[in-house]
Parts: sequence; C-alpha cells; structure tokens
Amino acid sequence: MTLPHNWRFEAIGTGWQIDTPRPLGGVLEHAILDRIAGFDRTYSRFRDDSLVARIATTPGRHVFPDDAAALFDVYRALYEATDGAMSPLVGAALDRLGYDRTYSLRATAPAIPAPGWDAAVAWDGTALTTLRPVSVDVGAAGKGYLVDIVAAMLAASGVEEFIVDASGDIAHRGAEPIRVGLEHPLDTTKAIGVVSIGNGAICASASNRRVWGDGLHHVLDATTGLPTRGIIATWAMAETALAADALATALFFADPARLAERFEFSYVRMHATGRVESSPHLDGELFT
Amino acid sequence: MRSLTTSKPAFALLAGLALTGALAGCTASPEPTAEETAPQTDESTTPSDTGSNAYADGTYTESASYQSPNGTETIDVTITLTDDVITDVEVVGHGESPDSKHYQGEFIGGIDAIVVGKDIDSISVSKVAGSSLTSGGFNKAVEAIKLDAAA
Repeated sequence: MTLPHNWRFEAIGTGWQIDTPRPLGGVLEHAILDRIAGFDRTYSRFRDDSLVARIATTPGRHVFPDDAAALFDVYRALYEATDGAMSPLVGAALDRLGYDRTYSLRATAPAIPAPGWDAAVAWDGTALTTLRPVSVDVGAAGKGYLVDIVAAMLAASGVEEFIVDASGDIAHRGAEPIRVGLEHPLDTTKAIGVVSIGNGAICASASNRRVWGDGLHHVLDATTGLPTRGIIATWAMAETALAADALATALFFADPARLAERFEFSYVRMHATGRVESSPHLDGELFT
Repeated sequence: MRSLTTSKPAFALLAGLALTGALAGCTASPEPTAEETAPQTDESTTPSDTGSNAYADGTYTESASYQSPNGTETIDVTITLTDDVITDVEVVGHGESPDSKHYQGEFIGGIDAIVVGKDIDSISVSKVAGSSLTSGGFNKAVEAIKLDAAA
C-alpha cells in the first residue's frame, strides 16, 4: 500500500519527502525542520557560523553535540577499513577541486591528500581536538544520519509507518516492506534492479551525477585528494541510513568483504565498465 | 533453480570455481576448513548440443557446503556457459546462524553481472534510489559553467 500523506520540503540543499498514513501536523513538522537546521549549523562546511567552520580556522578542543558520537564512530570504522581513503578530513581537498560553498566548481590548486586522522585530530567521544585548522566534511554520511534522526523523531511521536526519503537516502518503518528501484546512473529513466527494504535503509551514491570538469566529482580518495575511478555508482542497504550512506561511499574505495568485517549490510555497485557487482544475499533482483 | 549437470567437464570447472571462492575467503575468515562435501547434483535442464566446444552451453547449478565457525553452511552456485565462456554467475547463500550471512559475504565476494536497464515506469516501485535529484544549487552551478564554457 502507498502512504497517502506526502510532505515535501527542501533542506540541506536537497529535496526531502516524508510519507506517512496521516498528516504529521504543524508542530512535528516544525520540530523536524528545526532539528535539520540545527544539524546544519553544526556540520555544514558551507556556512560561516557552523562548528565545522570554526574548526577550519581555529585549532583547539571543540565540543560536539551528542549526536556526533555515532557519526564519528562510523567514520572511524570506515577510515580504518579503507586504509584512510574515506575520511572526514577531506574538506580542504574538496575545496581545492572547486566543491566549495559557492559551488565554484573550478579546481583552484593541485589536489592534496587529506591530513591523516591521528596526525591532525583526536576524537574522544565528545570533542574533537585539533592541532591545526582542519576542514571537516561529513558529506559522505551526514545526510543518511540526518534521515535516521528524523526517523527517530517520527517514531518517538508515535508514527509507526513511514518513509523518509532525502533524495535517494531512504529509511522505512512499517509492517510492509517497500520496493525501491536502483536508478541507472547513466540513464535516470531506467532502473538496473529492485530491492526490498523493510524496517531498514538504503542509500545510493553515484560519482557521475556530480561531475563538473574533466574527471572531477565529489567522491575523493582522502589519501590522494583525487576523485575515485573504477566504481561509478553504489547502493548500500543496512539497518540504519547512517551506515548505509557511509557504506555507499566506502564502496567506492574498499573491497566489500573488508567492509563486511565491520558492518552487516548488502550492496550493489557498478563499475566504470558497466558491470555490476552485488552481495549474494541481496533481497531483490538485478535486471540481467 | 537448484539444477544440474551431467557434463563432467563443467562439473570440474564448477568445483574449481568454488575452490577459488574458498581460497579468496581465507584472507578474511578464520581458518575456513572448506571441507566441501561432494556436491549434490540433480538434473533439471539438459545442456544443449556440445558442438565443438569443450563444455555444453547451458546453466549449471551446484550446491556445496563448507564448515564455518558457526557450523555447516551451504551455498548454491549457478553459472551460465556460452561457447565455453562463463557469461553469468549467481551465488545464493543459505545462512541460518546470525553470523553466517556475514561469513558468506566474505566467502563469496563480489558477484559480477551485466545489467539491462528497465524503464522505471514499468517496474512498480515505491521509491527510486539514485543521485539524479542532486542539490538544486549544484545543478545551477553546473549550468552556469556550461554557459561560461560556451561563451
């Protein structure tokens, strides 16, 4: 069945849709928008008043909100599992390639690797202590995490059945799983497969969808500061959208078997050759 | 979909495939003993005329079991052979214990396929996961750059 009430809005630069059996009401809607705005005030690399902006200019001990622990834990696990290729410290490298607050989309300087985690910062579960200015970018997992946060708010308000869709980062709750099409990265009118999501999340990432120059896109290998090659699109299915979003990025860098040592998930990913690789226990099908 | 072959060469080839998987799994799993039982086979499709090929074209499925830290696990491996070339591989794990999916993921690794896109309108889905709906700001910036480049 389809959920009849569809609330759409724009936030953190992307379109959201929340599907529910009944209207949420103004109070809950306002609380959700407020929560998203609060998240943005902490983590946005693109605004001067954010905590992340302060960290980019001022070394020291920066206390994060309570929600940061889960985010940093996932980043740390994937930093290790990808041998440093996936890092929250890629902000400066992204800036250099033109993925900056004004979307200048012009590479201003040669690529640089992100600083090593342990060399530049220390995360103690509450605060990030920095030894020099560092540009933190949680773009690889932040949107998925925000989807989880919104989902938790809905659940806490007694909504038992819903879909939160932040433009491809999707969380579902309810008795009936939903079918989600895997959009073909090279032809958005087509799907390469379909998966079933029930009380879980799916997140997608496609490097070719944010390309702005010769081989330039937003998925960077932190060890080189250069855009990844080889994998052009990923989908990760996991219990939380935080994990799914982070894994969708990690799948650009890492052997899925290595990621499976730390996370329970299933995946699909497309190589630049057009071949598609998937986990064997996919709850769905690929159109082959 | 459990099926099988009467073709010995293809059978041997399958065993080799499974073994490769087992070896690949060694790096990640603690001592996979990989005691593969004699694969159980039964026949449901008849391979086509062998012609001059070493193996008959067709789809072959084997069940194999192996020892994991959680006990015996089984997988079904299906391959499609055309002119002696494997054109498709499908592996289905039957994980029972909580950790088995995890181990099977490591054991099996990536499965390759060539996909054929289907029209999204034709497949009845509630949602689509992709990145076509990227931020409006980004898309506007790309358009501006294209205009600059054309100027």
